[in-house]
Amino acid sequence: MPASRWLRPGAARSLFQVWPLLIGLGLLALVRLSKGAFLLDAYAQLSRPFWPGTAQGEWLRSARRMEDQVRLAQLETENQRLRGLLQLQTLNPTRLSAPVISRVPGGWWQQLLLGKGSLEGVKVGQAVLAPGGLIGLVSAVTPTTATVTLLTDPTSRVGVWVARNRHHALLSGLGTSRPVVRFLEKDPQVQPGDVVLTSPASTLVPPNLPVGVLQSIDERADPAPEAVVQLIAPVDAVDWVQVLVPR
Amino acid sequence: MTLSTRQPWLLLSMLVVPLLTLASPAWFRIAGVPPSWAPLWLLPWALVDGQRSGILAGVCLGLLLDSLHPGPVSAIPALLLLGWWWGRLGYQGPPIERSFNLALLAMIGTLGLDLSLMLQWAWRSWFGLRGLQETPAARLALPGWHGSDLAMAGVQVLLSQLLLAAVLAPVVCSLLLLLFRRLQTASGRG
Repeated sequence: MPASRWLRPGAARSLFQVWPLLIGLGLLALVRLSKGAFLLDAYAQLSRPFWPGTAQGEWLRSARRMEDQVRLAQLETENQRLRGLLQLQTLNPTRLSAPVISRVPGGWWQQLLLGKGSLEGVKVGQAVLAPGGLIGLVSAVTPTTATVTLLTDPTSRVGVWVARNRHHALLSGLGTSRPVVRFLEKDPQVQPGDVVLTSPASTLVPPNLPVGVLQSIDERADPAPEAVVQLIAPVDAVDWVQVLVPR
Repeated sequence: MTLSTRQPWLLLSMLVVPLLTLASPAWFRIAGVPPSWAPLWLLPWALVDGQRSGILAGVCLGLLLDSLHPGPVSAIPALLLLGWWWGRLGYQGPPIERSFNLALLAMIGTLGLDLSLMLQWAWRSWFGLRGLQETPAARLALPGWHGSDLAMAGVQVLLSQLLLAAVLAPVVCSLLLLLFRRLQTASGRG
């Protein structure tokens, strides 16, 4: 009888001898069914000391920045070409690097003093950029220095628009570190986090320079809504700036 | 004999004031606001050298400070009055030497200077806005310190500079007072 053969004492004994093997096979089957979860997790834990460190991460960020710069240059070239085709006014200023030799970000006059002046082609009204975007306009020049009135100064007024929905506004300094944008429409449909750029309608500054990010919005302000702006460029930390000098 | 007539080159020491204003060391700032250096130099000068010299130094100092910024308001009126008042104090009463008195006078001077600037801004704002009642958009575009700015950021600037004057005056004014008195004594003997 076949059944009696399976139930022989010798066969049961051999089954007990191979149970570790069977358990091992079961575990491997689980690993297979879980798409190698245990195996990969174990590998991750074991290889953690050899994971890519900050140096590799910095290389990747550097490569990303390079890619962004190339794309930016390409887009600027394309933008110039299209503006030329549309016969729009082309503003293609050169960027003159200038050191910051005096910095007064607070008080009655919030200004920077740059180490380059009219001898280098700097003139009153030119836009001044720091890493991150616009920080102010040249308000006075001497042969070797230029005074920059910061966007935070209450005498500063610059036309801006919101990049997302292109609603125009006026950026006004309040004497604090955060200026305010005052919209021209009753319902500008903006929200915190929107990026503010210089307006193409402005005659003072070149269009579409980054300025800041909307932080909070007061929709009940009179006569139109206004919003507090966090400037992108860190005025307290910049040692070199760029003056946009027309060619 | 006064310092300004016997040793006119000493007036040049006031050049330190605009240089310090320009350098604006970060460790002397409170919330980004630098100290008002002009009263700290003018106080000992006027106390030692009298009201005429105080007025002259105040006007010179005001001209120097006004040249540093493109704004339409001026520090000259306040510095002129402070030079005259401190000059009278120095000649009429007993000598003022104690740190507390110097700090108090420097704080009053800083308060006067800042209030004069605030009044000038408020005056300009009031006259500027009065002509623009019918066009709200144009009112927004009018540059300068307005009432709300002066009430918020302006008061913060004022308080910061008062505090800095109270901290710096006992050291700076005492040392300058000592220096000017010695030089005056030396020039009187000579």
